[in-house]
Amino acid sequence: MTEDSQRNFRSVYYEKVGFRGVEEKKSLEILLKDDRLDIEKLCTFSQRFPLPSMYRALVWKVLLGILPPHHESHAQVMMYRKEQYCDVLHALKVVRFVSDATPQVEVYLHMYQLESGKLPRSPSFPLEPEDEVFLAIAKAVEEMVEDSVDCYWIIRCFVNQLNNKYRESLPQLPKAFEQYLNLEDSRLLSHLKTCSALSRLPYDLWFKRCFAGCLPESSLQRVWDKVVSGSCKILVFVAVEILLTFKIKVMALNSAEKITKFLENIPQDSSDAIVSKAIDLWHKHCGTPVHSA
Amino acid sequence: MAQQANLGELLSMLDSPVLSVRDEVTAVFKENLSSDRGPMLVNTLVDYYLETKSQPVLHILTTLQEPHDKHLLDKMNDCMGRAASRLPALSLLGHVIRLQPPWKHKLSQAPLLPSLLKCLKVDTDVIVLTTGVLVLITMLPMIPQSGKQHLHDFFDIFGRLSSWCLKKPGHVTEIYLVHLHASVYALFHRLYGMYPCNFVSFLRSHYSMKENLDTFEEVVRPMMEHVRIHPELVTGSKDHELDPRRWKRLETHDVVIECAKISLDPAEASYEDGDSVSPQVSARFPHRAADVAASPYVDMQNSCGSATSTPYSSSRLTLFSTPGQPPQTLSPPSTRLLTEPPQATLWSPSMVCGMTTPPTSPGNVPPDLSHPYSKWFQSWGLPVWFFDWSCLCFSLEELPGSKGSVPLSDLPGFLGDLASEEDSIEKAKEEAAISKELSEITTAGTEPLVPRGGFDSPFYRDSLPGCPRKNHSAASGAQGASVNPEPLNSSLDKLGPDTPKQAFTPIDPPCGGANQSPAGSRERQTALETDILTPSPCKIPPQRGVGFGSGQPPPYDHLFEVALPKTAHHFVSKKTKELLKKAKGNAEEDCPPSTSPAEVLDRLIQQGADAHSKELNKLSLPSKSVDWTHFGGSPPSDEIRTLRNQLLLLHNQLLYERFKRQQHALRNRRLLRRVIRAAALEEHNAAMKDQLKLQEKDIQIWKVSMQKEQARYSQLQEQRDTMVTQLHSQIRQLQHDREEFYNQSQELQTKLEDCRNMIAELRLELKKANSKVCHTELLLSQVSQKLSNSESVQQQMEFLNRQLLVLGEVNELYLEQLQSKHSDTTKEVEMMKAACRKELEKNRSHVLQQNQRLDTSQKRILELESHLAKKDHLLLEQKKYLEDVKVQARGQLQAAESRYEAQKRITQVFELEILDLYGRLEKDGLLKKLEEEKAEAAEAAEERLASCKDGCSDSVTGHNEEASGHNGETKPPRPGGGARGGGASRGGGGGSELSTPEKPPTQRAGLFSSRWETTVGESATSIPTTVGSFPSSKSFLGMKARELFRNKSESQCDEDSVTISSLSETLKTELGKDPGAEAKTPLHLDGPQPSPPSPDSVGQLHIMDYDETHQEHSEG
Repeated sequence: MTEDSQRNFRSVYYEKVGFRGVEEKKSLEILLKDDRLDIEKLCTFSQRFPLPSMYRALVWKVLLGILPPHHESHAQVMMYRKEQYCDVLHALKVVRFVSDATPQVEVYLHMYQLESGKLPRSPSFPLEPEDEVFLAIAKAVEEMVEDSVDCYWIIRCFVNQLNNKYRESLPQLPKAFEQYLNLEDSRLLSHLKTCSALSRLPYDLWFKRCFAGCLPESSLQRVWDKVVSGSCKILVFVAVEILLTFKIKVMALNSAEKITKFLENIPQDSSDAIVSKAIDLWHKHCGTPVHSA
Repeated sequence: MAQQANLGELLSMLDSPVLSVRDEVTAVFKENLSSDRGPMLVNTLVDYYLETKSQPVLHILTTLQEPHDKHLLDKMNDCMGRAASRLPALSLLGHVIRLQPPWKHKLSQAPLLPSLLKCLKVDTDVIVLTTGVLVLITMLPMIPQSGKQHLHDFFDIFGRLSSWCLKKPGHVTEIYLVHLHASVYALFHRLYGMYPCNFVSFLRSHYSMKENLDTFEEVVRPMMEHVRIHPELVTGSKDHELDPRRWKRLETHDVVIECAKISLDPAEASYEDGDSVSPQVSARFPHRAADVAASPYVDMQNSCGSATSTPYSSSRLTLFSTPGQPPQTLSPPSTRLLTEPPQATLWSPSMVCGMTTPPTSPGNVPPDLSHPYSKWFQSWGLPVWFFDWSCLCFSLEELPGSKGSVPLSDLPGFLGDLASEEDSIEKAKEEAAISKELSEITTAGTEPLVPRGGFDSPFYRDSLPGCPRKNHSAASGAQGASVNPEPLNSSLDKLGPDTPKQAFTPIDPPCGGANQSPAGSRERQTALETDILTPSPCKIPPQRGVGFGSGQPPPYDHLFEVALPKTAHHFVSKKTKELLKKAKGNAEEDCPPSTSPAEVLDRLIQQGADAHSKELNKLSLPSKSVDWTHFGGSPPSDEIRTLRNQLLLLHNQLLYERFKRQQHALRNRRLLRRVIRAAALEEHNAAMKDQLKLQEKDIQIWKVSMQKEQARYSQLQEQRDTMVTQLHSQIRQLQHDREEFYNQSQELQTKLEDCRNMIAELRLELKKANSKVCHTELLLSQVSQKLSNSESVQQQMEFLNRQLLVLGEVNELYLEQLQSKHSDTTKEVEMMKAACRKELEKNRSHVLQQNQRLDTSQKRILELESHLAKKDHLLLEQKKYLEDVKVQARGQLQAAESRYEAQKRITQVFELEILDLYGRLEKDGLLKKLEEEKAEAAEAAEERLASCKDGCSDSVTGHNEEASGHNGETKPPRPGGGARGGGASRGGGGGSELSTPEKPPTQRAGLFSSRWETTVGESATSIPTTVGSFPSSKSFLGMKARELFRNKSESQCDEDSVTISSLSETLKTELGKDPGAEAKTPLHLDGPQPSPPSPDSVGQLHIMDYDETHQEHSEG
């Protein structure tokens, strides 16, 4: 009841009329006010609505487990995290893996490698494909989050989530992509098939890197809201939507290389619309997640 | 050609003396002009005119219609270009524009205007210049908007000509200059009147130059004294003056009058709207006012003028205007006129300003005098002179004594007669007439209205045409007519309203006396006259110190003379002569500027005329030409030319004045129209008022009759009301009666009803009674039966009662018996009962107690249950809280753990690094020492044996140290790592601390890595510690360290294996090189093992083997 009374009584109508996101910030604030943060609810919220950018970092950190659900321990835990970050960074500096001139993203990569025990013998070792993925994601996160400690932790946990939680589902995504593309636009799919481009689409870029480097960060973070909150299926819809949006151009291209090349470098100006449509599409096909509470 | 010849013929025919022929030819020309649009005909006409100056041609040319104007202007422009035809062209132009053709507005665009201006700028012929200037002046009001383009030309011309007036280029005769000066003066007036701001700024700029200063002082400045400040100088601006909008609503004559308004020169000035001669001039130069008034008369006299008042002034005024001439006889009326105009002009300021006291002599004139005037004038609202003419008419009409009524048409003549009459009689008569008339006016305020409407305007119209009729030169006559009335009217004004109140009536008798003996009544007159005539001109000059100077004897003196006509003229003539002399003598500096060029011209003409008339009188010959020849030879050609030119100039002047007169006439006509309209409106007003009155009367009558009707109506109403009330009361009575009757009948009816009801009831009762009777009879029979029955029952009852009594007695008896027998048993029963009761109570209380207990226990149970619930709840909360805390702690723990993990990783990295570094170090050192090793191999083996014992004890301590170091997290791997990477060195290190640094066997042992190390280590540790304590006794930390190793080996086994294999490779090669040494080493290795014998070495060895294998396994 208290929650309801705090909310604007018009909020129901806003959504009916089509204004989304009017009351979201307020409800998110209410959610964040709970002492023990309800991660379930936060997940649902983040899946349902775009996160306000001022709370995005906090919500991500909570959802990714960087911060515990208790407000009390936030400071302490954050201190631990920071110290850990500093220690690792220090260690890397001591063993001369990184220097001040090393790009921040590589620093993050080495830190991650160190923490996961995969640190190569020398910084000049060639990068593994998973390191490339890490770098792409790190670059994207670096744009979104200012604080380097937060940044590192978010990258680390995000990558961990990809590697652990979505280990099973990520390889399934191309199939799902094909299926939904078929539902949305079978002609386009057949075109891709005839060009034999379907198997050569930039799946790595889309699903392993979660579009990092493909979409501008402002749009990307809306996609990642969903990914962080536990739904990697959104990636499929973003991919479908990209294809639908650039359908005319894709249809005009005949060779698989060209299509791949084009898709790897799509124009960024319509990315917001793409993401919005993708989220709609996702809601349409997978249904709007409801508060479990 | 034939046509031209024909034209020539026609032209010659134009001048034919036969009137009909001339008319015909004129008609033919006009027809031609209307049909032909070419310039040819016009050109021929112009040429012809220039040749012959033929009047009919001039007439045709001046009436040219629209399409030909251009040709005419072009032609005239051509002629203007040629010096010979310039003058006639100019005069033709003058003729044309004076008639104001409908195309006059085109003049401003025509090339003629610039050429005229050019001509005026460059020509040196005075006659042409004068004519041109006059034409220009005439033209200016017609094309005021052209000022914009040509303004500076105008000003230049003015500048040039004004300087001409002064510089007098040699060949020009003075007489011409007078004409020129007069025309420049007119130009000055026109320019100043039309474009004051521009003109003043031109004057400022032009005469600020030194070379022009003289001209300004001599020529322009006197001109400026004859103009007042133009209001436009205050309100207008240069641009505004040139604005065509300003000129659009002004007609030509409006412009002319505008210009005249700002003039102070009485000859030029125009005074409409109640403006009189400007007070300054009249006050400053009173004699001049008279003088000015005189000037036109002089003209008229010359031309035998007979304007209405000429007789009065002409004789007198010549005296003033022509001082050089012998004074003529003064006629008394003229003196009267002379004295009076100044008065009028003196009064003007108060009339204009509406002031109550005249500014000049406040003490002498009663303040109420001025009041009537202003009011009077305001109420009349007519041009001043207009009224005056009417007054004059009055006076003239009231002169029946001598002449009877004079027809208006004969007025001028009559006036002339009057002038020549005996002055005393005339004076008396006129005075009487005036006084009479004035008393009439004052007594009947509205009367003047009637005569004004009656013969004012006719008279006025008559008088104007009357002048030129007798006049040969109409222009001057017209001017005279317009100027002349002014003094006259003002005099009559003055006398009109004020005399009856103040001075005139009391004068009357003395005046009469004065008629007989004018000289005798001088003293009496003095007193009176001072009253009337204090604001006379003669008084003001001394006050102002101008004109007559301060040397004047008591200011009133000569006035008295003036007031007494008989002696006056001698005195006045004497006085004026004196004054004029004085003025001439002393005021050369102030008077000259006051004479306007026009006056000068006038005087000149007059002088000429006088001279001429003298000559003529002398000769008494009929014609001039004859006269000349008779006089002695032909007249000098030069003289003739001069005279002709002069005549021409005069003619031009005349034409110009005539043009002005026309403009004034136009103006007058318009004003008259306004007057008539006003009069008509007034009459209309009066008529309306009358109608209003009549209607009001009607309304009154209607009101009275309405009141009567209302009264009658109210009476009738009352009657009707009374009737109605009567009838009403009757009706009411009747109704009342009717109601009574109705009630009675109602009552009766009810009674009837009652009776009927009663009868019905009675019948019913009868029926009932009958039935009752029958019923009772039946009952009776029944009762009799029952009676018999009851009797029998009574008998039985009596019997039974008796039985009862008996039985009761028996019962009592028995009861007595019973009571006596059962008295003791009751006690027992009672006891029993009591016991029973007690028991019952006891039980009851017990039950109660039990119940209470039950309640309490139940409550307790409830309490406890609630407690329990609370506790449960609390427990739950606690659990939740615990869970919370757990989660929180877990969160923190996780963070800490991850941190710990990170630390672990970091240490691993560090270890790796260290190992790496060690590896490198060893690699370097090994190569060196391997060489040394060969030489010292044997020695080293020996030493090794010796040092082994020492090393054992050392290693124990070292190991202990290590064990204690294990507490630190980072320490345990180090010895392990050291054991692995550089175990030999550590093992050797243990020894080397005590013994020598060179230990080849240890180095070699290092090649076999941990095997040797562990053997040594275990052998050392085995003594104080339990078997296998190294791996197992390390407790948790040890386990961890182990794990770490394992992890590391797992994760980095590849790299390790690489380095190790490389190491072993090198060693192998070395071993291969040095088999001798190789062979020795096993000995050494095996040697020391048995050499330090210990009690449980075998078991230890086994264990050590186990450990070794284990460790090796782990390493592998």
